[in-house]
Amino acid sequence: MQISGIAYLSWKALRHRPYRSLLLIGTIALTLYFPRALQEFISRSEEVLSARAKSTPLLIGPRGSSIDLTLNALYFTPQELPTLDYSSYQSLARRNLGTTIPIHSRFRSGISPIVGTSLEYFKLRTLSINIGQSMTRLGDCVIGARLAESKNLKPGDTIISSPENIFDLAGVYPLRMRITGILTPNRTPDDHAIFVDVKTTWIIEGLAHGHQELSQSEVMGSPRNSEEGIVRANASVVEFNEVTEANLGDFHFHGDYENYPLSSVILAPSDEKHRALALASYEDPANPNQVVIPVQAVEHLAETLFATQRLALVAFSLLGIAALALAMMVFLLSFRLREREMHTYAKIGATRIAILCLQGAEVAIVAIAATAISQIGVTLTRSAAPELLTRLIS
Amino acid sequence: MKFTLFSALLILATAASISSCEKSASKDDLSLSERSRPVIATVNYPLAYFAERLSGEFADILYEVPPDTDPAYWNPTDDEVRAIQAADLVLLNGAGYAKWTSTRTIPYEATVITSSSFEGSLIMQQEGTSHTHKSGTTSHTHSGFASTTWLDLELACKQASSTADALREQFPENEEAISGRLEILLTEMRDLDRQMKSVTATLRSTPLVVSHPVYHYWTRAYGLSAHALHWEPMQELGTLEMSELAASQNEQSQLKYFIWEAPPSEENINKIRMAGFINIVVNPCGGRPTKGDFLSVMRNNISSISEAVRQGSSAKTGTP
Repeated sequence: MQISGIAYLSWKALRHRPYRSLLLIGTIALTLYFPRALQEFISRSEEVLSARAKSTPLLIGPRGSSIDLTLNALYFTPQELPTLDYSSYQSLARRNLGTTIPIHSRFRSGISPIVGTSLEYFKLRTLSINIGQSMTRLGDCVIGARLAESKNLKPGDTIISSPENIFDLAGVYPLRMRITGILTPNRTPDDHAIFVDVKTTWIIEGLAHGHQELSQSEVMGSPRNSEEGIVRANASVVEFNEVTEANLGDFHFHGDYENYPLSSVILAPSDEKHRALALASYEDPANPNQVVIPVQAVEHLAETLFATQRLALVAFSLLGIAALALAMMVFLLSFRLREREMHTYAKIGATRIAILCLQGAEVAIVAIAATAISQIGVTLTRSAAPELLTRLIS
Repeated sequence: MKFTLFSALLILATAASISSCEKSASKDDLSLSERSRPVIATVNYPLAYFAERLSGEFADILYEVPPDTDPAYWNPTDDEVRAIQAADLVLLNGAGYAKWTSTRTIPYEATVITSSSFEGSLIMQQEGTSHTHKSGTTSHTHSGFASTTWLDLELACKQASSTADALREQFPENEEAISGRLEILLTEMRDLDRQMKSVTATLRSTPLVVSHPVYHYWTRAYGLSAHALHWEPMQELGTLEMSELAASQNEQSQLKYFIWEAPPSEENINKIRMAGFINIVVNPCGGRPTKGDFLSVMRNNISSISEAVRQGSSAKTGTP
């Protein structure tokens, strides 16, 4: 019997029982896919996490979990730590240790994080505007490419911040923000974020606002609003939920700027000496703030991931052995059921080796198909890992 | 067939020429960007003047406030803000001057507040209506600082020094030249400060009336006291304004001076003179002057005060 004949007969035999064949291919493919996909996902995630961490030299934030601080600044995860005073940012900036970038990522619009920052952030991340232009005033935002694509947003459209608590009726008004530009995609969490001037996040927080002029006669004339020479800005006073050219001048800040909140500050020291100075200045445990090296925080996170990976691999290996044993049993049972068919092959002149080759070819076709499918799955997982990681983290 | 071949050649030649044009244009753009000098954006004319004097030839100054607009109340367009965002250095006056800077996005890293070295001595003033936002909360008035800091020429010197510090840090290759130019500028301004102290010495015991509340630092620096109105030099002065002026007069004083921000109309000069005041023009020079520069405007201010003092002493002694 020729090789082509063996392959033809094996193929026909597999096609004769398509569901059994597909089930076997699927089972073996999944058995091969899971451990390799997990390894690839974790190794790619570590690469991605490290790359973003490396482009963020130092982070300054309130004392607490360095991983929480890093993930909030790098992946805009919900803020778990207390806030940092704006005065801390100012004093750091005055020391001229390098480029200082404020980050305030407490708020969201739907599931998309609203990141209050400065224009230097875009330089640090080498982000450029793909469509439209940069933000120029309070209430302006530039958004990530994937967010724009998923919500079909373009420059000139608006996007609204989500209230933190829908039951807080007396809380902060949602702010309608003008989209001025869409960023070039860079396959990082920036693709899903809404970037605003840090002052805009303070409007969302209620520290700054705009309302109709309190000296207007309709406000001053109402006895509800005016008593003992003090004007009460109650619900009858129109508060703006959108910044426009017309009302821009009416927006103002309350309280002391220095106490305004930030999530963290990115510091890119100008050289090694300034880096050492920055690290040393937060050594004092009495200092309410800490300095974090994001690469180290990510390494800690990766160690945890690797430990989890080892555990998962053991589980997958045991499951894989069981699944392969089952597949082998299915093959053996199948060959026993087809004993008469094999006798027929022998009677028409097929040697014992040819029959063994025939059975081996069936197993090989199933194994090759399963390996190919699992390889495609692993490749797809590797390419989707950064996106998947961003979604999982945030 | 010949026609098709000819057409194809023509299309190829056109495409090649367009491509070469594009290449040469991009080369031009590159050379332009290579040639371009650093840009220093400023919020008012005094800072633009300091930056011009200190940078000399190595930087371009971006100061786009139209001549007829007070830079303190200028509202830039989005494109003007973007031009400022692209600047290498943005010089702010501080003290809440140019409110647009608090509602617009400017590059924090490139921004320098030139009055930060004397922020403890800024003059606080209350403005607006006392109000509350929620029942039961304490009432407040939006307070702010007086912002025409440079009229105190000592503070102007400090602002020039801050400008020089920022330039030296941003452009260290020009450090020596900047320091040399700062020394010359400070010498000239200190000389003007001395002259200003000298000419205003006789006004110390005299109550002044000023047309606008922009002279807080000037009066504090030179030991003067002034009552501020809200008048424009070219506005028509009716009975309401004249009675407002009469109410502000100190009857015990024989000599009275009225200080304008800019030369007033002839009619206003006469009306103020008839009310018993001597007209003086002290131009704060927040915006770019149509003639001269910051120092020449300050010299003119000194001359105007000197002339008024001479008139005052003539009137006192009865000489014409």
